[in-house]
Amino acid sequence: MKIVKCLLGGFAASLMLLSVFASAEAVPGKPAPDFSVKDAAGKTHSLADYKGEWLVLEWFNKDCPYVRKHYGSNNMQSLQEKYTAQGVKWLTIISSAKGKQGYHEPEEALEVGKAHNLAASAPFLLDPSGTMGKAYDAKTTPHMYIINPEGTLVYAGAIDDNDSANPAVIPDSKNYVAAALDEVLAGKPVSTPATRPYGCTIKY
Amino acid sequence: MQQGSYMLVSRVSRPAVLSSIALILFAVIFLSAAVALADENIEADHVRIRWLTPEQFGENPAEKTIGLYFEVDEEWHVYWRNAGDSGAAPRFAFTSEQLAVGEPLWPYPERLPIAHLTNIGYEGNVAYLFPARLTDKAGERVTLKADLEWLVCKEECIPGFATLTLDRLIGGDSDQWSAQDADILAHFQARLPQASDNSPWRVGSLEFDETAAQLILTLQGPAGLEPTAYPLDGNFVSAAAPEVTETAQGYQLRFNTARGVAAPDKTDFVVVADGAAWAFSNITLSAPATFAVPETQSLLVLLLLAFAGGIILNLMPCVFPVLSIKLFSLIQASGQGAAAHRVREGVMYTAGVLMTFALLGGVFLVLLAGGAAIGWGFQLQSPWVVVGLAVLFWVMALSFIGAFEFGHSLMNLAGRANSRSSFATGVLAVFVAAPCTGPFMGAALGASATLPALPAMAIFLGLGAGLAAPFLLLAVSPGLSALLPRPGPWMETLRQFLAFPLFATVIWLLWVLSRLVGDDGWLIGASLLLLIALAIWLVRSERRWVRAGAWALGLVAILVSVQRLQTLEAPVTATASASAWQPFDTQQIAAAQQKGQAVFIDYTAAWCITCQVNKKLVLDTDEANALFEQHDVLRIRADWTRYDENITQALAALNRNSVPVYVFYPAGGGREILPQILTMDSIRELFNEFSVEPQ
Repeated sequence: MKIVKCLLGGFAASLMLLSVFASAEAVPGKPAPDFSVKDAAGKTHSLADYKGEWLVLEWFNKDCPYVRKHYGSNNMQSLQEKYTAQGVKWLTIISSAKGKQGYHEPEEALEVGKAHNLAASAPFLLDPSGTMGKAYDAKTTPHMYIINPEGTLVYAGAIDDNDSANPAVIPDSKNYVAAALDEVLAGKPVSTPATRPYGCTIKY
Repeated sequence: MQQGSYMLVSRVSRPAVLSSIALILFAVIFLSAAVALADENIEADHVRIRWLTPEQFGENPAEKTIGLYFEVDEEWHVYWRNAGDSGAAPRFAFTSEQLAVGEPLWPYPERLPIAHLTNIGYEGNVAYLFPARLTDKAGERVTLKADLEWLVCKEECIPGFATLTLDRLIGGDSDQWSAQDADILAHFQARLPQASDNSPWRVGSLEFDETAAQLILTLQGPAGLEPTAYPLDGNFVSAAAPEVTETAQGYQLRFNTARGVAAPDKTDFVVVADGAAWAFSNITLSAPATFAVPETQSLLVLLLLAFAGGIILNLMPCVFPVLSIKLFSLIQASGQGAAAHRVREGVMYTAGVLMTFALLGGVFLVLLAGGAAIGWGFQLQSPWVVVGLAVLFWVMALSFIGAFEFGHSLMNLAGRANSRSSFATGVLAVFVAAPCTGPFMGAALGASATLPALPAMAIFLGLGAGLAAPFLLLAVSPGLSALLPRPGPWMETLRQFLAFPLFATVIWLLWVLSRLVGDDGWLIGASLLLLIALAIWLVRSERRWVRAGAWALGLVAILVSVQRLQTLEAPVTATASASAWQPFDTQQIAAAQQKGQAVFIDYTAAWCITCQVNKKLVLDTDEANALFEQHDVLRIRADWTRYDENITQALAALNRNSVPVYVFYPAGGGREILPQILTMDSIRELFNEFSVEPQ
């Protein structure tokens, strides 16, 4: 009997170990990686704070031409306004390391936010260590993620399907984030859960 | 300037109503910037762009190749069609009445590590080329306008927009190129991907390993010229360099893929080696499939397969007799405490099976970790194990038929109703199951060799659980136990009858032995069995010295035969040259594939029963041979009876480590792995599905 228990125990333990290894990856359909990052006003945000709510994550670098494409055209702010008005939370993250392009001290970040008419749910989240960015495997600015109220990632990738830096293409582009948010808010599954992000390398 | 325009827009655009106006305004500013740059060549941040065209277009031929030449500052780069993890391919839009310009032709790129990412593009100057054709409207001049958008990056990126114009005379018979531009054109034309037919390789297969999220491209052809490949689909295939390994038949390239992105049906690569490139387009992705069940499945599926395989083992001719004896002991248990007794027996038996599988699995994994290239069934590649099993089955068979009754024999131990004996039966069941790799087991065991230790061990235990499950269920379920027949004389009759499958197993093991070490192996093995039978007969004697002599005889017989087996040379493989089946030879296979001949490989071994059955019923039939003949298929028999490094490697490339495996490579490329249980239909389908035409 003892032997049987040992074997069954070992079997169960190995299965459990496997499931632990399987988590902590930013893959649509899997639990989103945890984070705990201060915003420019000094408030700490973590994934647990947003349990029960739809959450959008957006990576930002003010000097990136692709970020300028979407902010200069007011495309990003319009999305932020539209969906936060529907109860979606939106966090915009700066993962540039100190000394690299796009890095800001908190005070400066507040000003940049103001100048950009940032309409997210909080001031910029400052992640100069890159911990959050790397946990999400965020590659580019803008890189977009959508997390459901249960904490599962439902979308990861580009903002839209046109990787041109020219804002004139925006009206004719398919906006993946808007499409995914419209789907989930209507209670439907996301039809395109992952795309290749485009833009500038995040300056970790 | 872009910074300025952006600031302007962001100040006026706060109210959402104004956003569309802002967009238009912003676009206008961009366009005006572009218009301002219209010229025959332009100088932008870190890049200069100019035409690569003849100084004067000739009237003939109408088909031309023109280009746009990007001279990029040192350390800066521009992009290929698939830009990789970040960045963007340049965009071109041409307007001309006189010249119809086609889709861009992209010289092969290089991988550029950018911080934590990989970009695909060109560091240094590059010419994007375009096929072009003079139209009917071409008179004396060609005018051409190109709207360009590009991205030039170091770590930062600068987008650029410009319009280039061109005005050239048409005249003379041929194009007039400046010597310098002709050289540049030739340089980049040489870097354009050629048709895949011109490459030294053919696509063996393209498989998507969902568990590892890896795409595995196998290229068949010569070794020594290591290729790399660039995916056209940046959405699905990661930009990072593939892991390239040399295989017996060419190369295997493993690409990571974007998790969460659905695998396409077909995809394209540009393969590059030694300064030349080839376009491999529309390659069909196959899930690595066998027996309708993908072999690289989630662990859960593999565990289920292992479990099913274990259950089927119970029916194998080698296992069933042993189990039946155990079953008799269950039937005979009656009266008080019978139920509890049955449960104990079932649990102990299960423990014995699982323990033995855990031990075997452990040995297997340790050997594997030590770098030994082994596969399941490896135990039967050793003549001593085969002889040992033959002796075991022989003794069991003699006992079954009632030739002798052992006071403390293994079988009595197994049949006796106590916990220790149940445990021993469990151990025995695994050993007698060793020669029988049944259906479903191949995929699970194959995966166990590629998985990390814990899941691999889980698969071994899953197999054990399957083997133990039917008996355990029978033992612990009172309902099922009640269905067992009453004990009676029929049990003795059945037991005697069951000796015959065991004798058959002995014959087969002796044949395996002869394949392993030659005809002498057969003689030695059979003599050993004879002497052991004699010893068993003698040991029943009343006289002590005779009994001692019997033991001595048995011992000496075993020692001598082991010693003799050691000295035997492996026989020359007798895959008869007269036979249509050729021995395994990677060069011959590669050569056949190069000239477009279809290839069928039968990975087999003498100790694999399933293989022998398939061979007799399907592969060696007249119909199969006629079909193979008719379609000019090179037939290869890869005999794994003895350890063979090349075959082990080839199996590993298929993600397998046991036999049988049947692989068909159609003449047109691609690969089909057949089920482990062959039917004539599965062979016929090969030739309906793939139109195998000599090229």
